[in-house]
Order: sequence, then structure tokens, then C-alpha cells
Amino acid sequence: MTGVASGTESGTAGAGNGGFAAGLLDPDVEVPAEISGRRAATRRYGVYRNNVVVGLIDALKAAYPSLLVIMGEMNFARVGRHFIAAHPPRSPMMQDFGAGFAEFLAGFAPLRGSPFLADVARLERAWLEAYHAADAAPLTGADLAGLAPEAMAGLVLPAHPALAVICSDHPIGDLFAYRFGRPERGPDLAASQSALVTRPELEVRVTMVTRPQARFLGSLAAGQPLGEATEATLAAEPEFDLATALALALQSGAFVRPLA
Amino acid sequence: MSKKTAATAAILAGAMTAAISMAASTAPANAAKLKCYGVALAGQNDCAAGPGTTCAGTSKVDYQGNSWKYVEANSCDEVVIKVDGQPDRMGSPEPIERDLPS
Repeated sequence: MTGVASGTESGTAGAGNGGFAAGLLDPDVEVPAEISGRRAATRRYGVYRNNVVVGLIDALKAAYPSLLVIMGEMNFARVGRHFIAAHPPRSPMMQDFGAGFAEFLAGFAPLRGSPFLADVARLERAWLEAYHAADAAPLTGADLAGLAPEAMAGLVLPAHPALAVICSDHPIGDLFAYRFGRPERGPDLAASQSALVTRPELEVRVTMVTRPQARFLGSLAAGQPLGEATEATLAAEPEFDLATALALALQSGAFVRPLA
Repeated sequence: MSKKTAATAAILAGAMTAAISMAASTAPANAAKLKCYGVALAGQNDCAAGPGTTCAGTSKVDYQGNSWKYVEANSCDEVVIKVDGQPDRMGSPEPIERDLPS
């Protein structure tokens, strides 16, 4: 395959496949020179190119159903095309596609006026990753009941594979709920919400949490011992209620049993 | 043990006891659900998880052996589906080779 006009700027999609793959994601690229044959071969390449992009946009819609409703079909597809050109699939597993959508939205200049979109994308991504995360038996109250009080402060609770804590300055919980239908009144965009993503009983659960709770659970998930996380959270957020946060962690299956 | 650590330990011990009783008094998060194969009606199997996994509602025949629904743990083995004129069907925690679409 020589003499292929692979005029793509990104040059990412074509690795190993010459111009055929490179041209698929960029409609401005000329039909590759190796496309030849009887009638209409170039037109058919155009049809194929369109199918590839439409298929990827559909995959993105399936992964970000809340954003789809928030942005509307047309805007979503338009933004999706830009994302696909910049971040073509890297893995044959379609569930991996779309992983960088939040970061892309955050840096996408035309959407600078809607900074909440990126945080909604983070939450939607966390939902999807939680769905596909490994199974693990969650930590129960019984696991902790026999613990000696002096052992508690040093306790490190391993995060359940599905756990994610998303802190946001935007009403991500209300916006996430758009996947279930557009509400009659839009949310207060000045509100801040944080979310806890877990998968008790093999079903993904998104729980709205307070900022102190998110901070505390996030610290634990990052590997901070219980005592340190408690002290740091109380220092920053005097209103923090430890018992409620621990109960939430137990009920939502956020952690697994510590080793030994 | 410093004063601060002692105070933290006391807060933790109290909160832990409260949290355990709070968590126990609400719906049990750990009464696990399991996948149960061969019990879903056509088109009513579970699972919808984004791209590449559009498997929810894709089973082609009733009680398809390789599609599943979530059920309460331990209840899958008790599922017996009786259809007139057909042998009884049992649920299975593993995919089974019956009622596969042709």
C-alpha cells in the first residue's frame, strides 16, 4: 500500500492500516488511493465512513444517556464527532470507548459556558465502570463489630472495585437524573452536589452525598486510615457526622473487608 | 497515645457502633442478588450497560438458557417454570444449554 494520501492531521486512527483507517474518522480526508474497483467504490467508502462514525456516536450515546438528553440529539452528535476524531477507539471492547469524554468536554472551547457537562460525564463514566467492575463481597457491620476500639484509627478500608466518589460544584445528581426523563423545571445550576457510585446487590447505585461525606469517603477510598480521614474531614468540615457517613458506606457497599 | 488520637479513637468507637446499628436497621445491602439463567421471558432479560453490551431485552425465546435475570440469592434454584405440555424448567446460576434460539 503505497502512495496513499493519508492527509489526516491526527494521524492516530491509521496506524497499521494505512490510509483506509485514517480516512474513516475524518470526512475532509480524500478517499484513500487504494480504494479502487468497479463502479462507485469511492462512494461506497463514503457510506462505510459514515457508518463507522454513526456507530461510534451511537456507542457514545449509549454510554452517556444523561448528556444525550441534556444536550439534545443534534448537539450531542456534533460534539461527539469532534470527540471521535480526537479520541478514536483504542480497544476492541466498546465499553472502553468514550473513556476520555469528560476531559474532552472540559477542554472543548464551544462548551465553556456549560462547565457542568464534564462533571456529568465523569459521573456517567463512573456508572459504566462500576457496572463492569469485578464482583467483591462488600464490608458489613458484622465485619467491624468485633474490632477493638484502639484498632479502628489505623484501619484502612479497601475500596470496592465499583466505588467512585465524584465531587462537583454543579448539580450533577439532578443532571444525572435526565437519563430517566427531562424534568419540567431544570435544576438550579448554582447548586453543588457530590455523588457516591457503588454496586450493592450487583446493581449500580448513585447516591447523593454531602461534601463532607464525599471528602471523607474519598479519603478512605484513596487509602487513608480511618483515624486520619476522620481528623482531616472534621478539621475542614466541623459539621461532619461520622456515624452517618460510616452507615452510608456500609449500606451502599462502598468498601470490602480489610485484609487480615 | 496522644490526646488527639485518644479523642479520635473515642469518636470512632462511638460512631462505629451507631453506624453499625443504623446500617443494620435499614434494608440489608448484602442480601446479594444473583444472576439466574433460563428464567427470563423473551426480550425481558436483564443488563443494559452502555456500548457493546446491548444485551438487555435481547433474548429471542422464552426461558432462553443463556440469558439471565437478577433474583434474590438462593432463590434461583427454587425457580420452576411450568408450561402446559412441556417438561418443567429449573433456573440455573450458570448458563444452560436449553431453549437456545435457532
